[in-house]
Amino acid sequence: MEVKLSNLNDYTVVSIHGRVDTLTASDFESKILEVLEGGAKKLLLDCSDLAYISSSGLRVFLVAQKKMMASGGSLKLCCLQPEIKEIFDISGFSTIFSIFPDAESAAAQ
Amino acid sequence: MEYLFSLFPVILFLACLFLLDSFKLVSQKLLLLSLLWGIIAAGLSYFANSWLTNILNLHYTTLIRYIAPVTEEVLKALLIFALIRIRLIGFVIDAAIYGFAIGAGFALTENTFYIMQLGSDTELFVWIVRGFGTAIMHGGCTALFSIILIAGMQREKSVWTSSLAGMALALFIHSGFNHFAINPFLQTLLIILVLPTFFVIIFNQSNSMLQNWLEIEFSNEVEMLRMIRQGQFKATRAGEYLASIKKHYSPEMIVDMYWYISLYLELSIKAKRNIMLKESGFPVMPEVGIKEKLIELQQLRKQIGKVGEMSLRPLIRINHRDLWTMNQLK
Repeated sequence: MEVKLSNLNDYTVVSIHGRVDTLTASDFESKILEVLEGGAKKLLLDCSDLAYISSSGLRVFLVAQKKMMASGGSLKLCCLQPEIKEIFDISGFSTIFSIFPDAESAAAQ
Repeated sequence: MEYLFSLFPVILFLACLFLLDSFKLVSQKLLLLSLLWGIIAAGLSYFANSWLTNILNLHYTTLIRYIAPVTEEVLKALLIFALIRIRLIGFVIDAAIYGFAIGAGFALTENTFYIMQLGSDTELFVWIVRGFGTAIMHGGCTALFSIILIAGMQREKSVWTSSLAGMALALFIHSGFNHFAINPFLQTLLIILVLPTFFVIIFNQSNSMLQNWLEIEFSNEVEMLRMIRQGQFKATRAGEYLASIKKHYSPEMIVDMYWYISLYLELSIKAKRNIMLKESGFPVMPEVGIKEKLIELQQLRKQIGKVGEMSLRPLIRINHRDLWTMNQLK
């Protein structure tokens, strides 16, 4: 799992590459927390290269969402692969997160 | 001062256990019920012990060493037994907390009674031993019974065997404590050192088991449901398995099995999602039609019957923990 950071409009974009599972979730969490501690108020998780996400990974998304809500910030998800989007839909997590088809439409709102 | 030393430690210990419940498995209503049951059990024990002393003409030493531990531990354990049987307790963590709460309710009543009986002239040492030693021992014994019973249920052992094993350990500790074979102060110190360490180890282990369970089952269930919804179920190993047992059942039964698997997966995923939401501090989402779906699942389970359920075991093996998880959706 790799994480790349970039900026788009006011958003800090975190592009996730590879798998977020039990083995990589804690590494992913510490990277996300690092970004949040750096003062990011608008966070966009770009999932175009996210190949797999398990419950440990979903938990990190929830932690990030909770922290953003507490600090008055905003967390958005974009570019989910159909299989990953289906995981969110099936489990009902798509109603908890703001999910956008692409980074531009997410950062525009 | 006697109130502080005899009542406060057990409440503090219970609060610490409650805070260690990172998955928020414990319901506040059941926690209060457990405390209340502890108070009732103390009252009932008092009458039972007095009655037994009279009819058996018991000596005080015999009563506190051998008889009181039995009446008290059995009465305290009754609620835990019932809660586990009706699947309102699913994991070691909630079992231990409810168990400790019952013991805490019991000890609070007992210690208040002793304060009223003995008055404030009694040495502080007595209240320290009662508050840190006896009270924590009461909570710890019922918690141990709960842990052993739920661990047995999770391993699909007989409920009676697990109950007897749990009760035997609780009685051994309670009776051993009441023998005061070593200095009461040392005994209390031992309880203070051993029990918290034991609970921290058990809670850590249970948390990591719970995380693994969520990790493996959630992903597998999502994947299987995804295949079902895409009409690709036949291509999966589960689908192949269902096709292989087709000849043993009527077509209607196979349809019921298919919907049973599908509905079970949907509800199980939602229940696990709710556990994850609670762990992260999110409110659980109310969902329309959940009750109807749970009823439908029960109906399908009945229609399939025990034999059908046995046949589906390689695909879905519903155990006590799964049924508890489903209960969380109600």
